[in-house]
Amino acid sequence: MTQATLDRDIPVRGSGADVDARARRTAQRRRALHWIAVHALGIAAAAFFVLPFVFVFLTAVMSDNQALTRDLWPHTWQWSNFRTVWDTPGFLTWWRNTLLYAVGGTVLTVVSSLPVAYALAKFRFRGRNVIMMLVISTMMLPPQVIIIPMYLFWAKQLHLDGSLWPLIIPMAFGDAFTIFLLRQFLLTIPREYTEAAKVDGCGEVRTLLTVILPMIRPAIAAVALFQFFYCWNDYFGPQIYASSNPAAWTLSYGLESFKGAHHTNWNLTMAATVLVMAPVIMVFFFAQKAFIEGVTLTGVKG
Amino acid sequence: MSASVHPLLRAKRRKEALRNLAFLSPWIIGFCVFFAYPLISTVYFSFMHYTGFNNPTWTGGKNWSYVFTEYPLFWPALRNTLWLVVVMVTLRVVFGLGVGMLITKIKTGAGLFRTAFYLPYLAPPVAATMAFVFLLNPGTGPVNHILGGIGVPTPGWFTDPHWSKPALTILAVWGVGDLMVIFMAALLDVPKEQYEAAELDGAGAWSRFRYVTLPNISPIVMFAVVTGVIQTMQYYTQPLVAGKVASGIIGNSGQQFEPGYPDKSTLTLPQLVYNLGFQRFDYGSACVIALVLFALSMAFTALLMRRRSGFLSAED
Amino acid sequence: MSRLTKAAAAVAATAAISLLAGACTGQSTSSANDDASKDVTITFWHGWSAPNELKAINDDIALFEKAHPNIHVKVQGNITDDKINQALRAGGDKAPDVVSSFTTDNVGQFCSSGAFADLAPFLSRDKIDPATTFPKPMQEYTQFQGKRCALPLLGDAYGLYYNKKEFAAAGITAPPKTLSEFKADAVKLTKSSGDSYAQLGFMPDFHGYESTPMHVAAQWGVKYFDADGKSQVAKDPGFAAMFTWQQQMVQALGGFAKLEKYRSTFGDEFGAKNPLQTGQVAMGIDGEWRLGMAKDAGMNDLGVAPFPVPDDQASTYGKGYLSGTIVGVANTSTKKNAAWELVKFMATDTDAVVSFANAIHNVPSTLAALKSPKLDPDPGFRTFIDIAQNPDSTTTPASINGGAYQVTLQDFGYAYESGKAKDLQAGLKGVDSQVDKDIAQAK
Repeated sequence: MTQATLDRDIPVRGSGADVDARARRTAQRRRALHWIAVHALGIAAAAFFVLPFVFVFLTAVMSDNQALTRDLWPHTWQWSNFRTVWDTPGFLTWWRNTLLYAVGGTVLTVVSSLPVAYALAKFRFRGRNVIMMLVISTMMLPPQVIIIPMYLFWAKQLHLDGSLWPLIIPMAFGDAFTIFLLRQFLLTIPREYTEAAKVDGCGEVRTLLTVILPMIRPAIAAVALFQFFYCWNDYFGPQIYASSNPAAWTLSYGLESFKGAHHTNWNLTMAATVLVMAPVIMVFFFAQKAFIEGVTLTGVKG
Repeated sequence: MSASVHPLLRAKRRKEALRNLAFLSPWIIGFCVFFAYPLISTVYFSFMHYTGFNNPTWTGGKNWSYVFTEYPLFWPALRNTLWLVVVMVTLRVVFGLGVGMLITKIKTGAGLFRTAFYLPYLAPPVAATMAFVFLLNPGTGPVNHILGGIGVPTPGWFTDPHWSKPALTILAVWGVGDLMVIFMAALLDVPKEQYEAAELDGAGAWSRFRYVTLPNISPIVMFAVVTGVIQTMQYYTQPLVAGKVASGIIGNSGQQFEPGYPDKSTLTLPQLVYNLGFQRFDYGSACVIALVLFALSMAFTALLMRRRSGFLSAED
Repeated sequence: MSRLTKAAAAVAATAAISLLAGACTGQSTSSANDDASKDVTITFWHGWSAPNELKAINDDIALFEKAHPNIHVKVQGNITDDKINQALRAGGDKAPDVVSSFTTDNVGQFCSSGAFADLAPFLSRDKIDPATTFPKPMQEYTQFQGKRCALPLLGDAYGLYYNKKEFAAAGITAPPKTLSEFKADAVKLTKSSGDSYAQLGFMPDFHGYESTPMHVAAQWGVKYFDADGKSQVAKDPGFAAMFTWQQQMVQALGGFAKLEKYRSTFGDEFGAKNPLQTGQVAMGIDGEWRLGMAKDAGMNDLGVAPFPVPDDQASTYGKGYLSGTIVGVANTSTKKNAAWELVKFMATDTDAVVSFANAIHNVPSTLAALKSPKLDPDPGFRTFIDIAQNPDSTTTPASINGGAYQVTLQDFGYAYESGKAKDLQAGLKGVDSQVDKDIAQAK
């Protein structure tokens, strides 16, 4: 928070000609009250955002008998719940599949989207705006719109039903959101850099790799994170393509079946929930800055 | 491109066109195979009777008339979408703006607060939804235990058709971190001089918000509203998982899960594609829903692009 | 339009045409000409997922492999019906050879679409007469319009569970046999407390877990379709009687709003806090699996009996709603003879059926197994076996579009009990027309 925002928040009345001690005291008191009000509100909001996590965590370490009672604080801290979930048949497989989908999908998406974004930002050619419009249109499209033919294509033509390949392979052909975001960022890089590289005799590919790439590292980090989270959290894709083969399930899909019929234990379900959330939260803490920059980029720059 | 162009220039242009094509090729292939073809195909199948076992046969407008006049889930899903657009999108924008303003004013522990506000946005939707179904379980969840403890009426949340959409709204507002960050950035971009000028004119907090903040961030508000509407068109995982988990029927058991439990109150259009296509295996009618979804999404995307021509701006 | 987009459009069009042409191939059907005495591996899909159930099915398969050393079975568990349906449509070498499904709802779809192979040639070849092998309702729900494409693999029967302690406290000595006795007992067992209950006699709401319209309507012996396959919910007086009865129960026990509020305090149906197991309700309709679950949850005061019948049908006391798991051979399978051996073993071998039924506490599905002395003698379990054998017990019939007609009836039930729908007869007519429309759309 800059000094400017600090000052902005303190109403200073009048022209400031007769600044006496009383007015200063009033201003001080007002400032203190303002501080208290803002932070009280902040704490209330934080409670709203954080308490669900706390309840989930506390339930995850409760015993089976306590999980549905009025007591919110665990009588005994049953850490073995996490172990039980981890040892559930399939859980490790779901974990591995999710990682494969998220890492593979992210790498393919970034590699295939970067040249497209570069061309859309830096080359002049007819139809560029049309393509940009098509990119945005596909970005805004719910995946359900084209799922029937896509499913028939993957399942009936290529027999890849029951695997994650129908989700990973298309990512080698550019992702609209990633292209859009990278292009927005590339637009902020002055043309002089690429011109200079060209004068030095660099081809476009070399310019992109040696001059541009180091400059847009934060944007690459942001889009990679977005894609990683998208894949990690994806439910609809695995529900369509992977569901008929438990060996191909991901965490999102498996988590739901974890609370399947005939053996429902909320404490274990919540322990599984914690184990699914944990990696996402850890990645976020490591890459918080890139992430927030990325979100800002989606809405503000343009 | 006429014949009068100098041959050297023409060669250069051809080289450039090839270069452009090479750079764009991943997207061109992807667009054709994973967008244009399935979209055309969706139109084709919407006129076919196709169950996956038979050869597709032409049925004319039968699927269309079935979906609009006979399919009992279509209009409830559309009404729910409208409800979510009006209530959920509005509350998310208001709340996102409020939290965004709050975070710009917090001076002590700002980073910590920001992380706390942002974190729920990252929670995987299936996990977050299951957590909320547990927290808001009418009989045994901690929220109703607390509400009951202080003598407040305890709603049925995800099991009551009147409360299921509000419960989903709470879940959506909980994950408002994305809007918060966008608004935060926009608020910090508002020129300070305008606030100082307003203060000199003796403007109060509300007037400053009304006449300085709002006009400055109105494009961002517009952006948040329109993308919110588009996201609502895609709203799938949360209502589906909430309905399945709250009804207690997830699969495996001998019962079919009830789409939109309770009483169709959590149905959204994308769920109908799944219901028709992957539960009833009426691929033709599923394609009709898909095209309705396509038309609605495109209409709002067009609005977004008109309002924010910045989306398409080139740097020169 | 730029050259680029023109090129893109051309590519798209070509791709679309070639792919569409490809998508038009129908289902390939292979005849049963594989040699079941050769070394072969078949894939079997089922929906069981709980550890004790998985152990039971794997033991069953091990017995089969011992009897048929040349046939190896690759087992894939935890598969829901939607996914079975999906995989059968996709075909390919990953698709299963033998499939079992938890619901009888989809048999109509499986049979009429040709997803499941017709088992008649196999049955006649091996001289198995379904009529003398399986109980009648189970014979019915495994065929559709005369085509037998599945066999029953254990069944579920529904009956009345009651809390013995709460019965004793209310001075009730025996479980009710008619619905008027049932209503009187339910009222007697209900203890209001403010705007809620300290204890409820029976939860009549259709969302009250297993108290669905279909399960309850079986007590009236209803028929869902007429001879032409048209829905006849409005014509069969049993449905109107059932809805009227439910309405009376709701009123007698305190009204819909109060009951719904109480229902929201119930624990999960399949969790330890099921209202029958906590004593929150004194009576309930449920399947035979509740026996084992209640025991696991430490609840030993539950008695079981057949669910009461309408007063004018008192002579049919002992009947109930039946459902079950079914098993069939995928039509895409190239190893049908080997697949049939597995189906035959699991569905008709008396020892296999009995030990599987004992292991997962389901009702055995052959007449011989029902009479087997090896069957678990637990009296509660025996009650359900009797319900399963009762000639008046009924099930929900197979339909071309699966359980869609039940969903429609259920939806009307929710609307009627909440007061959203007022006119019963008009509502039932609406159900009929919706069901017929959905079936026409599926044809």
